[in-house]
Amino acid sequence: MIEINNVEKRFGSAEVLKRINLKVEPGEVVTILGSSGSGKSTLIRCINGLEALSGGAIRVDGHDVSTSAGLAAARRRSATVFQLFNLYPHMTVLRNVTLAPIQVLGQPRAEAEAQARALIDLVGLTEHADAYPQRLSGGQRQRVGICRALAMQPRYLLLDEVTSALDPEMTGEVLAILARLAAEGTTMVFVTHEIEFARRISDRIVFLEAGELIVDMPTEAFFSEEGGLAVPRIRKFLSKMTKD
Amino acid sequence: MRYADFTPYDLVLLAQGLGVTLGLFAATTLIGLALGAALTVLHYYRVPVIGHVVVAVTELLKNSPVLVQLFLVFFGMPAFFQVNMTPVTAALLTVSLNTAAFAFVIFRSGVEAVERDQIEAARVFGHSRWQILRRIISPQAAAFSVGPLIGLLVNQLQVTSLISVIGVADLTKIGNILNLRTLEPFVVWSVIGLTYYLCAKALAALGGRLERHLRRSVVWQGL
Amino acid sequence: MIRSWNALEPHLGFLLEGFALTVAACVLAVAGAVVLGALIASLRTARSRAARTVAAVYCDLFRNVPFIVQLFFFFYGLPELGIYIGAFETGVLAMSIAGGAFVADVIRAGILSIEQGVIEAARVFGLSRWQIFSRIVMPNALRVSVRPMGSVLINLVLTSSILSTITVNELTGTAKIVAATTFMPFEVYAVLLVLYAALTYTLSLAVTGVHRRLNRGMPEAVA
Repeated sequence: MIEINNVEKRFGSAEVLKRINLKVEPGEVVTILGSSGSGKSTLIRCINGLEALSGGAIRVDGHDVSTSAGLAAARRRSATVFQLFNLYPHMTVLRNVTLAPIQVLGQPRAEAEAQARALIDLVGLTEHADAYPQRLSGGQRQRVGICRALAMQPRYLLLDEVTSALDPEMTGEVLAILARLAAEGTTMVFVTHEIEFARRISDRIVFLEAGELIVDMPTEAFFSEEGGLAVPRIRKFLSKMTKD
Repeated sequence: MRYADFTPYDLVLLAQGLGVTLGLFAATTLIGLALGAALTVLHYYRVPVIGHVVVAVTELLKNSPVLVQLFLVFFGMPAFFQVNMTPVTAALLTVSLNTAAFAFVIFRSGVEAVERDQIEAARVFGHSRWQILRRIISPQAAAFSVGPLIGLLVNQLQVTSLISVIGVADLTKIGNILNLRTLEPFVVWSVIGLTYYLCAKALAALGGRLERHLRRSVVWQGL
Repeated sequence: MIRSWNALEPHLGFLLEGFALTVAACVLAVAGAVVLGALIASLRTARSRAARTVAAVYCDLFRNVPFIVQLFFFFYGLPELGIYIGAFETGVLAMSIAGGAFVADVIRAGILSIEQGVIEAARVFGLSRWQIFSRIVMPNALRVSVRPMGSVLINLVLTSSILSTITVNELTGTAKIVAATTFMPFEVYAVLLVLYAALTYTLSLAVTGVHRRLNRGMPEAVA
């Protein structure tokens, strides 16, 4: 379980996250919505330890991410997929995927490679296993990013606007894979602007506004007239996003 | 050999050495930059054989040790061509040519950078090649070249230290003399090194100011 | 031509010995410069302010003092400290230290060119600081550094000729002796000039080759 308790994050005098409380149970898909600058990505970066908390606590399966031992344990349980892929440019697709399993989990190379190739097959990149990332399209790179995350066999997958840098066709490729993972019961924390997709795969929707968590409800309720749509701010956000 | 302490007169000696170094640096810079610019013009006009010869010779000068160039001029030329060659003449000739070779390469890439973009436009308006060079390319190529030229000159200041090897009494040679006389290598070479360092820093600072000034004036003209 | 060749021929073996010494000095100095340079570069990008300052001063100092002054500093200075090493070793040491300053700048630029997001990814996946440095930062920094590193190497080869001033009979040192014994300084130094140019040209081809190999799969514009 990921527990986020009273988390605050300040950059200088700017309050980016204000007393956030959130729980993600194993098997759940939780989507975080909100306009740009609402703090969604910062929340993900707090969970994976890229940003130090200004207040409150985050625990991943009981491991406190603000201690270095806790963070190391938390990072073995979760894996992140980034908006701009952040693949290692000097390594082939295969090496990108096997680096952490070998170096961090201590898997034997042969085992790590067999597992990586299976994942690469799964996302349809079989013939690109030995290519360097720069040779791939954005959609293909993001599929590698997903493989790299899955290779750690994470309990929690953190997805930070993974389709924002992709055109619609490539977005489709990536979402198809995520939908399959969701159906298989992978736990996900999903920051996105893809409202329709979020509606299809999420168990719960969380809405952030200017660093505050203003709504946390089951997906169906969120999109109902008496639930999320009753909140003027969310109605406005949804109508704006679906218009684009 | 006799041991001897430093005397106040050593400061005069040091100043003299510094004067020789700076004087030679200034002279070779002027000659080198002028020659480099002239070669660039020659190359720009695509004179059949000369253009290739210029490129070949500059490459040779850029890719061989200055010390060997100095030896060739100072020891080789008198023996082969039966000419007189003082250390100072040899130093002037060699360092000037060396500076010219590097300056040529810098100017040429400046010209080529401008040429690609704008020449066709200018040619369409019926300007002659010389007009294009003078009015359009030169000012911009000069602006492009200032940065790399400053780097080159800071480097060439250090290169002048090699002329001590053929006996010119520059700063490094004075260092040699004081080193042998006082047997205080740490003091002597630290002082000499520091003097070069300060000169290099002053030169770089001066160049930086010039560059900012030029860039401002180029922008001011709306280029 | 024939007369010159006949006069030079008996000395070829001796010149070859000098060439071998030049190669040895350069190989050792490059190894030393890369090790030192990587160390200084990691200090320059370290968290500690003191480490960054020390490394920056090192680079600034050894880049702005002529090599021959540095060489004399070590050659005459080290025995004062009771460190007695041969002229060749002193030369390699000085070349490593001076080259290290240049290599450090090259590697530092390489390190700074790595996207922050790539490092963040490595951190999130649980790689240790050392693993990130050795598996992500360094390979990437070296990859983009090949070309500038090649110019440093070529400069070291040219610089190695200065070792002849402290009695090391590398290529230039042996040539000096041959020039004096054959009374043909012009021919000897002209050949030497071309030899060095050929050597550095070959090296630059090799550098381009290595660059291509390390950057396969990379678009040229990025690399």
